[in-house]
Amino acid sequence: MDAHVDSLEEEFEALTQFLYLAPVGLTQLAMDGTIAIINPISAQLLMPLTRDGSLDNLFTILQDVVPELRHLTESFEKPHGIVCDSLRVQLSAGVRGVSDPKILSLTVLKLDETRLMAVLSDVSQQMKRDRLLRQNEAWFNAILTGITDYAMVRLDARGCIVAWNASIGRVTGFSQEAAVGQPYSIFYPADTTTSDRVRDRLDEAKANGWSIDDGWRIRADGTRFWGSAVIVPLLERTSPSDDSTSVDTHVEEYADDVRFCLVLRDITEQRAAADMHRLQTSCDHLTGVANRRTFYEAAELEIERYRRSPRPLSLILFDADFFKKVNDNFGHSGGDAVLRQFGALLMATFRQVDVVARLGGEEFAVLLPSADLRGATAVGERLRLAVETSEVDSDGTRIRYTVSGGIAAMDEDVSGLDELMKRADTALYAAKAAGRNRLEVWSANDPSRPVVSEG
Amino acid sequence: MEFDQIDLLVTLDAATDEVLDTLTFGVIGIDADGQVQRYNSMESKMAALSPAKVLGNQLFTAVAPCMNNFMVAQRFEDALADRSTLDETIEYVLTLRMRPIKVKLRLLAAPAVARRYVLIQRRT
Repeated sequence: MDAHVDSLEEEFEALTQFLYLAPVGLTQLAMDGTIAIINPISAQLLMPLTRDGSLDNLFTILQDVVPELRHLTESFEKPHGIVCDSLRVQLSAGVRGVSDPKILSLTVLKLDETRLMAVLSDVSQQMKRDRLLRQNEAWFNAILTGITDYAMVRLDARGCIVAWNASIGRVTGFSQEAAVGQPYSIFYPADTTTSDRVRDRLDEAKANGWSIDDGWRIRADGTRFWGSAVIVPLLERTSPSDDSTSVDTHVEEYADDVRFCLVLRDITEQRAAADMHRLQTSCDHLTGVANRRTFYEAAELEIERYRRSPRPLSLILFDADFFKKVNDNFGHSGGDAVLRQFGALLMATFRQVDVVARLGGEEFAVLLPSADLRGATAVGERLRLAVETSEVDSDGTRIRYTVSGGIAAMDEDVSGLDELMKRADTALYAAKAAGRNRLEVWSANDPSRPVVSEG
Repeated sequence: MEFDQIDLLVTLDAATDEVLDTLTFGVIGIDADGQVQRYNSMESKMAALSPAKVLGNQLFTAVAPCMNNFMVAQRFEDALADRSTLDETIEYVLTLRMRPIKVKLRLLAAPAVARRYVLIQRRT
C-alpha cells in the first residue's frame, strides 16, 4: 500500500519535472483567457510581452501582437478542436548584426467548453532558415518546373536592355526599337517598381547570386500578366593570365563588362495557388492587407536597401479615430466593417510597391519606398480625405469615421526600423493630441509641435 | 532569519539544513558552477520537487530554466566575473507547480562565500 503511494508520488514528481523542463511553452486557460496552468518556458516567452509583469490573462498579454486571438477563440464554434495552428507571432524587428527578429509560433486548442490549451515556441531561428529555404525553392522552381515559354533578356550594368531577341518579342510583345536601351522596368506596370528598386534588384542579384520576384508584368500593348522574373549576374571569365585573386575585383564595381541576365516567365496559371498561399501566410485575416510579420520582413529589407544606398524612404502609421466608440456603438461587426473598408481604401490609394499592413487592432502602417516626406504627406492626405468623405455599410447602418496619421522618413540619424516606427508613432500621437482626423510629420526640433498639419 | 534581513548571506550559509528547513521562504544554494547544493523544504514544497531530484543538478539548465535569463542567472555570473557582492531583491513570476506565482527573489553572492543563494518569497 505504502509502496503504491510512494510510486504515485514519484510519478507525480517526475511529471512535474518533465513539465518544468519541457522546451516548449504550455499554458492552459479559461475561455476568457485567464491562465490556470503554465510551465516555465511559456512564462519565459510571455514575460517580455506583459505590461505589468503579471501572467494573468493570455489574451491581454498577446493583445498587441495577436490582436485577433480573442476573436478567433470566441468565434470558434466546434466543441473542441484546433483554433489556430502554428500562427507566427512577430515580436520584434531585430537589430541588424545584433539580434535576429524574434518570432513565436502559437497553437491554440479548444479542449472543451471551458478550457483552452496554448502551445508556444520560439521559432526565430527556424524562420531564418525557412526564409533561405524558400528562396532556394523559388530558384529551383524557376529553373526546373513548368517553363513553357520565357524571355531571356541581357542587361547592362545599369539594368538596361542590351540586345533584342525573339523570346522578348514572343513573351512581352516589345519590338527591338522599343526595348533596346530601355531599363528592364518597361516590363513592370508603373506603380509596381521605382528606379531605386530597379537598381536594388541588380545589387541583390550581385550579392546573393540571384534576385527573384513574382508580380504583375506588362506587355507592349498594355495588357498585364502574372510573371516571375529572375535576375542573375553574368560574370565574365577573367583572362587566363589573371590570378585567382582578381576574380572578385570585377564584381565590386559597376564595370562595363558586368552584365545580367533576366529570365521572364508568364506564370499566370500558377498564380491562383501562389495567391492562396500568400493570403494564408502573409495577409491579415480580416482586411486582406499584409500582416505584421510580412510588414516587418519587407521593412527590414527596405532598411537594408537604404543602408546600401540611401534614398528617400517614408513610413506612415495610421490609426482609426475613436475606434472604441465605433465598436461600442455598432458592435464588433461594425468595427470589423470599418477596418475592412479602411484596408480597401489603403490598398486603392497607395502604390503596389508600397507595403500596406495591419499592425494590430486599428493600427495600420504604410511603408513608401522612394517617397520623401512631401510625397508621403500628399498621398497620406489623399487617404485621410477619402476616409473622411466615405461611409461604411454595416448591416444597413451607415458608419462614418476618420483616421489620424503620423509620418516619418528615414535619414542617417535613424538607427533602424524600431526608431523609424517610434518617430512615426510620436507624430501619430501629436496628430491625435491636435484633434484627430489629421496627419502630422515627425520633427526633430519639437516633437510635440510637428511642422505640417492638415485636416 | 527573515527574508529581508540585512547581511543575511553569511548567517544563511553557516546555518544547518535543519535550520533552513524551518524557514518560511524558499532557499536554493548553488556552487560556483551553478550546481544545486542546498534546497530547503519550503522551496521543495512550493515547487513539488524533492531535494533528491534537485541536489547536484545545474540550477539554471536542469532545475529552474525560468531563471536562466538576464534578471537572475546573468546577475550571478556578473557578480562572479567582477568579484563583487550581489544583494538584490526583484519582483518575479515563477511557475511553481505550473501556476503563475508572484514572488520576490533575493539574489545573494559575495566573493568571500563560495555558495550563492536565491531566496524565494511569495507576494500577495
